[in-house]
Amino acid sequence: MRLDLSSKLALVLLIWVCAFTLDWFINVPLLVVSVVARYLVPAFRPQSRRGNSAFNKFLLYSVAILALLATLNAILMPGGDVLFALAGLKFHHEGLMFGIKTAARLLLLSVSILVFFVSTPLPDFIRFLQQKGLPSQLVLVLLLTLHFLDQLPGRINRVFVAQEARGAPVRAGLFSRTKSLVSILSPLVLSSIVESIDRGTALEVRGFLARPESSPVQIQVKTKLNALTLVLLLLSLGIFLLFLLRWLLAS
Amino acid sequence: MTGAALPFVAFCIALNLTVGQITAALKIPLYLDSIGTVLVAVLVGPWSAVIAGSFANLLASAFGNPSMMFFIPVVVVIGAFTGYLARAGWFRKWYLVVLGGILQGVLAAIVSAPISAYLFGGVMMAGTDFLVLYFRSVGNTLLNSVFYQGLTSDPVDKLITYLLVYFITRSLPRRLLSRLRGASNLKNALSQHAP
Amino acid sequence: MAARILVERFSFRYGPDLPRALADVSLDVPPGSCCAILGPTGAGKTTLLHALVGILGRHHPDSVHSGAMRIGKRAFTPLPRDVMFPEVGLVLQDPYVQLSGVRDTVVDEVLFTLENLGIATEDAQTRVEMILRELGIDQLASRPPTTLSGGETQRLALATMLIAEPQALLLDEPTSALDTAATGRLQQIVKSLHGRATVVITDTHVEFSLPLADQIVVLHQGKVLFAGTPRDFILRMDRFEDVLPVHGWWEVLNRFAQSSADQSQAADLLGKALAEP
Repeated sequence: MRLDLSSKLALVLLIWVCAFTLDWFINVPLLVVSVVARYLVPAFRPQSRRGNSAFNKFLLYSVAILALLATLNAILMPGGDVLFALAGLKFHHEGLMFGIKTAARLLLLSVSILVFFVSTPLPDFIRFLQQKGLPSQLVLVLLLTLHFLDQLPGRINRVFVAQEARGAPVRAGLFSRTKSLVSILSPLVLSSIVESIDRGTALEVRGFLARPESSPVQIQVKTKLNALTLVLLLLSLGIFLLFLLRWLLAS
Repeated sequence: MTGAALPFVAFCIALNLTVGQITAALKIPLYLDSIGTVLVAVLVGPWSAVIAGSFANLLASAFGNPSMMFFIPVVVVIGAFTGYLARAGWFRKWYLVVLGGILQGVLAAIVSAPISAYLFGGVMMAGTDFLVLYFRSVGNTLLNSVFYQGLTSDPVDKLITYLLVYFITRSLPRRLLSRLRGASNLKNALSQHAP
Repeated sequence: MAARILVERFSFRYGPDLPRALADVSLDVPPGSCCAILGPTGAGKTTLLHALVGILGRHHPDSVHSGAMRIGKRAFTPLPRDVMFPEVGLVLQDPYVQLSGVRDTVVDEVLFTLENLGIATEDAQTRVEMILRELGIDQLASRPPTTLSGGETQRLALATMLIAEPQALLLDEPTSALDTAATGRLQQIVKSLHGRATVVITDTHVEFSLPLADQIVVLHQGKVLFAGTPRDFILRMDRFEDVLPVHGWWEVLNRFAQSSADQSQAADLLGKALAEP
């Protein structure tokens, strides 16, 4: 099944609506389905090894989050039956349920974001935003950030080595090391301002700041699944309205 | 934004995401992950800082830390508040920088507390979780516990960030800063040091 | 169509309390010709180019200026307030910052310019390929711009301007990042622009621009020390030793003689130059 970015985002929205409005016994299976989908649905598979590794790390993190939230709240939130006692600590039902609900919601929200981003190359996402109307200046900022993210680690390393060679106290006490932050950040910021001025000039003389926002002839790729986006959006709206109705009736 | 501001904002977003490399190399137990946002707030303006902070959190989510997305309201407040402080001239005197940093930290703790409490249950998988645990164990609600924990760490982190930006910007040549709109936020301070 | 560039007694200070960056500079560059502005660092060359392209006034609102300029049919007193692109194109000293940094291929990088003009139509790709072929970098069309050499990047930077068909093209110290072979290639390219666009080159060395220029201007501390033909410049070159030290004086003259259309005139000129006290 091929999903365009609109459908993917609509799905993320649906998951978010579910996370905030539905009960935990629906959210937990939804969470399991989301994790399984990442492996089974081609559209949700990571686009890079880094993405794959990030997702796997998150799974480990999720187990820890669930365990911590459930345990801490079971101990610290008195209320309801005492499920069991261990080493003098009482584990309460109400706290345990609160922990599980919070963990389910948090993990569902996080998994939806993570699956979206690991399966969508960032430049594609940024171009999608531009097609949907994000101003070209903001698109350029995002794309240039990716460019700087490639370069910065190398530049930081060079400045660090240069400052250490000049005697900056990079290996002294905590206070001295904190002071040496200025000697590392200052040349980095200064060189970035100089480069930004030159890059800004280049953008201006290439007419970027006067760029018309309405695009020239663009080939719009029509997807067969625009209907899917609509269905997902309607579903989100429906669930939210049901939640609202339930809340109004209850109050 | 001016032509020069666009690449500078992009650089500062990247700085937010990579400053951990510097703090790790120096073995400093600080985040400083809003330093780029504060730089933009002081040198460009509040709304550019809001954009810088939001984009940094968006990209951090995209790079494998999805929880950063939920703290976008916090960086919006950091960017706007710092930008308006800078416009009011607070980055011209060191004592105003100190006061501003502390106020910023308190504000960040107030805005992030409901997010941490409601969405994360006070568990951020960091050393500060023990503080939340302690505050809860002595009878505070989850929200209050998270807020008190924030009060112990956010003002320190933001104060150091503010001071760093103050010391960095006061050494920058005025002729360069005039190309970034917020240079007038430092005018008086700069005129004492510019060649 | 190439534009005439006329500058009349243009003076400029970056601020009211700052020294003059340019003092009573006058220039007349006929359409389609090439003018080389030579001078040491800090002479005001880049300031003049930025004034012509229309960014000087915008970037320095506190500046003080006087004089007048005319670029093609448009007249300014004293300087343009808006970027003159695409009528005037500027290739910066550092070709790496000329590139957007946000395009994945050489072709897309050049197309970026057309997108800014709102004319990136479907047939634009053909025009881009033509420009790349002309500059000898068509084989790099699908390469990422960050993988190019200094000379290739310089030619790509030139392509990003030429695609817009400017009436005037300004090159700010175009050889500062190039080796000898790349400099030679660039010289051929600039020669081919003769008649298509009015070219103004700034440089700190005479070797590159002397064979290309129809007129030479020597700028020092914001003032014009010399304005005339290359022939007149060669005859007086030793007077600018302090401002424009020429290394390998004899070789420079030799290369000029070899690249000149009229070999006998060039030889005659060489002889006169050598005989001058």
